[in-house]
Amino acid sequence: MDFTFSPEHVALRRMIREFAENEVAPIAAEIDREGRVPFETLKMMGEMGLLGVCFPQEYGGMDAGETGYCILMEELGRVCTSTATNVGAHIGIGAMSIYLDGTEEQKQKYLTPLARGEKIAAFVLTEADAGSDAAAIRTRAVREGDSWILDGTKTFNTNGSFAEIVTVLAVTDPTLGARGGITAFIVESDTPGFEVGTHENKMGIRGSSTAELIFDGMRVPHENVLGKVGEGFVSFMKTLDMGRLTLGAACLGGAQAALDWSIEWAKTRKQFGVELAHKQSVQWMIADMATEVEALRSLVYRVAWMVDTDQPFTQLAAMCKMYGSEVASRAIDTALQIHGGLGYTRDFPIERAFRDARIAEIFEGTNEIQRIVIASNIFRQHGVRIRP
Amino acid sequence: MRILVIMGRVLDPGGIAVNRRRGRIFVNREEYVMQPADRCALEAALRIKDGLQPRGAEVVALPRSVLPDDDVLRLAVATGADRAIHLTSEGTVEADDAGIAQVLAAAAERLGGADLVLTGATTLDTGQAQLGPRLAEALGWPQILSALHVEASDGHVAVILKQGKQYVTVEADLPAVVTVLPDALKPRYPDGVRLINVYKRIGELAAAVEQWDVADLVDVEALTPLLEKRGQDFPPERERGVRVTGAPREMAQALADALRQWAPS
Amino acid sequence: MEFTFSEEQQMFRAMFRDFCAKEVAPKAEEIDHEEKPPLDILRKAANQGFLGATLPEEYFGAELDYLSYVMLIETLAGECMSTAATLATHVSLVAMSILEHGSDAQREEWLPLMAAGEMMGAFALTEPDAGSNAAALQTHATPDGDDVILDGVKTWVANGEIAGLFLVFAQGAEGIEAFVVPRDAPGLAVGYREPTLGLRGATFNTLYLEGCRVPVANRLGAPGEGWAVAQGAQDRMAVALAAAGLGVSEAAVEVGAQFASERVQFGVSIAKKQAIQSYVAGAFTEAEALRYLVYHAAWLVDQGEDLSVDAAVVKTFGAQTAHNVTNRMLQVLGGYGYMEDYPMARKYRDARALGIIGGPTELHEVRIAQRIFAEQDLEIAP
Repeated sequence: MDFTFSPEHVALRRMIREFAENEVAPIAAEIDREGRVPFETLKMMGEMGLLGVCFPQEYGGMDAGETGYCILMEELGRVCTSTATNVGAHIGIGAMSIYLDGTEEQKQKYLTPLARGEKIAAFVLTEADAGSDAAAIRTRAVREGDSWILDGTKTFNTNGSFAEIVTVLAVTDPTLGARGGITAFIVESDTPGFEVGTHENKMGIRGSSTAELIFDGMRVPHENVLGKVGEGFVSFMKTLDMGRLTLGAACLGGAQAALDWSIEWAKTRKQFGVELAHKQSVQWMIADMATEVEALRSLVYRVAWMVDTDQPFTQLAAMCKMYGSEVASRAIDTALQIHGGLGYTRDFPIERAFRDARIAEIFEGTNEIQRIVIASNIFRQHGVRIRP
Repeated sequence: MRILVIMGRVLDPGGIAVNRRRGRIFVNREEYVMQPADRCALEAALRIKDGLQPRGAEVVALPRSVLPDDDVLRLAVATGADRAIHLTSEGTVEADDAGIAQVLAAAAERLGGADLVLTGATTLDTGQAQLGPRLAEALGWPQILSALHVEASDGHVAVILKQGKQYVTVEADLPAVVTVLPDALKPRYPDGVRLINVYKRIGELAAAVEQWDVADLVDVEALTPLLEKRGQDFPPERERGVRVTGAPREMAQALADALRQWAPS
Repeated sequence: MEFTFSEEQQMFRAMFRDFCAKEVAPKAEEIDHEEKPPLDILRKAANQGFLGATLPEEYFGAELDYLSYVMLIETLAGECMSTAATLATHVSLVAMSILEHGSDAQREEWLPLMAAGEMMGAFALTEPDAGSNAAALQTHATPDGDDVILDGVKTWVANGEIAGLFLVFAQGAEGIEAFVVPRDAPGLAVGYREPTLGLRGATFNTLYLEGCRVPVANRLGAPGEGWAVAQGAQDRMAVALAAAGLGVSEAAVEVGAQFASERVQFGVSIAKKQAIQSYVAGAFTEAEALRYLVYHAAWLVDQGEDLSVDAAVVKTFGAQTAHNVTNRMLQVLGGYGYMEDYPMARKYRDARALGIIGGPTELHEVRIAQRIFAEQDLEIAP
């Protein structure tokens, strides 16, 4: 077993870290305060090839593998969860769905500009009555000649308000459920009938866009069906697995940042005449935090390696997301406690990280769903089928 | 046009702690970065290359010394240099900047000559500023030092630098050597695809970094250093700043007085 | 032991609930989103006698027992923790300190104004270098004839933005002294308001005292008694903050349970899922445990008993419970829990403050350990 990163991954991490520290971190507080998406840094990332980090070079990507993508998410998550969210939605579910299920023509036409960062992607699934129960979507796609007409409302969508290329899941056969009744479509956002609705006011990740999308008689050509008609939901599950791993990587970055801040603070802050680092309660907190971060790091990069070597990873990806989000929440909560009052004010980045971290246990499949996925996988391996 | 960029590496200052009390420098994290001034030199070279499109220019990166690995040269290619030459040697090469200048001059000749040499004006760790001038001597070319801005086109280079409180433009015919100040320019980030390919040694960049043996360029025995390093010590302690105490009004007054006292005249 | 409320206490609770539903609930979101101190609510609260909740009638107080007062804080916190924290600072930290330690003249001068809401009280103890270690205070009090000159900087002064009077702690010749300082005293300046994660309707300011002149008559208690004043105030406040934790926890459980019953996924309401049931049951259990800790501690205040360990216990448990419960109930609400147009995100941010203000959990744990080990004849220093 070789646990070292390859030279290209070491170099890649160094490049991304410098970029993250010089371009992303300095505006993290501002984009949170103003509630705006940092298009300028997305553009820079596109120019550097980062928005296609894991896709093959023949489609304009960087070919750095899932490991490279995890490194990107970790380094971004370390400085700005909002930016990691924007990038993750673009690469990990938006572009990824086209990479996994697209025809050669679709990949050339849609994946290439996405990988080059010339356009931004989104993946649109959730509805008001279809959150964890994603198969309960009602957005309808009706065949009309050589196109499909889409009608429906999607909620809580990341990137949808500004993405140019959007993968939409809609019901093509209401009599069938997840198996056979749902189809994925590649939609260009300037299609007539594609409307952006309300923008959500979130507690955190305010530098990302979460909005309602409304499809009103939107006509999509049949050649834009992604994968096979009726198989959209099954394909979506594959995309989601990839997304879960990399969200775990972003959480790793956030947890590492919390640890770094805590160590710095413990070194300098004095109480009762002595630095906090000499207080056993703080030492325990740091030791526990560091151990969890190490465990998460090993898990994330091992699963990345499994993806890069074509091994099955569904259960492990769910673990990355579940464990990662909880490690990050615990780490940032502890960091807040160590920083005391100053951690509770907006003059320090801790409270922003606290607000940002909380979403990770909820989106991309709540941790309750992750637990169901993990338990189902485990019991299936032992011959027991679980109904959620 | 062929532009040579001479670059070196330095320990990342963020990974170092200087402990005066114990008289030591602690390397907490051994990571190397490109010398900041050399990075600006590379940026200057790439901007000249950009300006000469579509005819283009060839940018070749060479090292400041015999480096233990070619990492910083690969990074130069990833950032946009067309090629890099990694100098290797069987034994250790005892050479200071004067000696390396001989090696680099020989390398330039083996490359088939060059029009412009760019390098950093100073190094972050040793504060040396010799390499540029010595290389210019070895090549017999004019030298312009401590550039803030460099522009070059057929046969000609124009450099902006600061003299005293003024900015002046100095021009020279090519070939010439120009050294660039750190922080002179905002250097670009590497290109991701080039980075992956130059490290994985695939595609067009598979052979971008070549290895040349120093012994093929000069007589290694003849490279005796001019400088002998006898030790290192910390600079003398000096009073850094003033600590103000008291009520806010008193502190503000003390601070204002101190600033007035120390203002550059 | 009698575990029921008296009829009077039950009547008070109904009155508090009514007040909250009418006056506080409709404004809670705005108070948080616009970071506005709840002045309207405080005016109305004054009319109800809430601002002098525990003060004797002779000072126009409502003369509530501490237990009833704590129910008021609990009820307010269920809707708006910022309002609860503001009121608790005013009553527990400041007004009751004047009541306990002030001379008749001082009580007559300040308490009626406070009860009427004409002067809100602020508490100025913490300093930049003396967070938890209050014994390291650097603000000093220098006698000057009939006056005292106060010099120093105070941070995290609760209610600083809106206060008419400040309870300031300073080092005197014989130890720590407590002074009542009106806002218009010469040499007092209210500065930076901390932009906080939660409790955004409460205010925490930096206070500058530069040659601030107050009459010696404004000193509470004897020289050197200041430490006892501070300690007593913080112990009372610990109980009130725990009550706020209880209030926000109860409200969170209710919001969570209601959402879970109404939210249908996979064909059933999520309340039918065992994991959700476990979350809600666990939250409910913790809140119940907190409830009796809080009421017991409040009862101890009314008995005049020594509060130090119980205050530490109830504060740490209250902070922990409020955070755990709001966190769990946020998870029950899922994506909706993360949106600021639902109340849960605000409750989560507000609840988190309890682990920090009024002394961090770690410090309270030391106090508890000190008492436990003192019984083993072992002295522990923080």
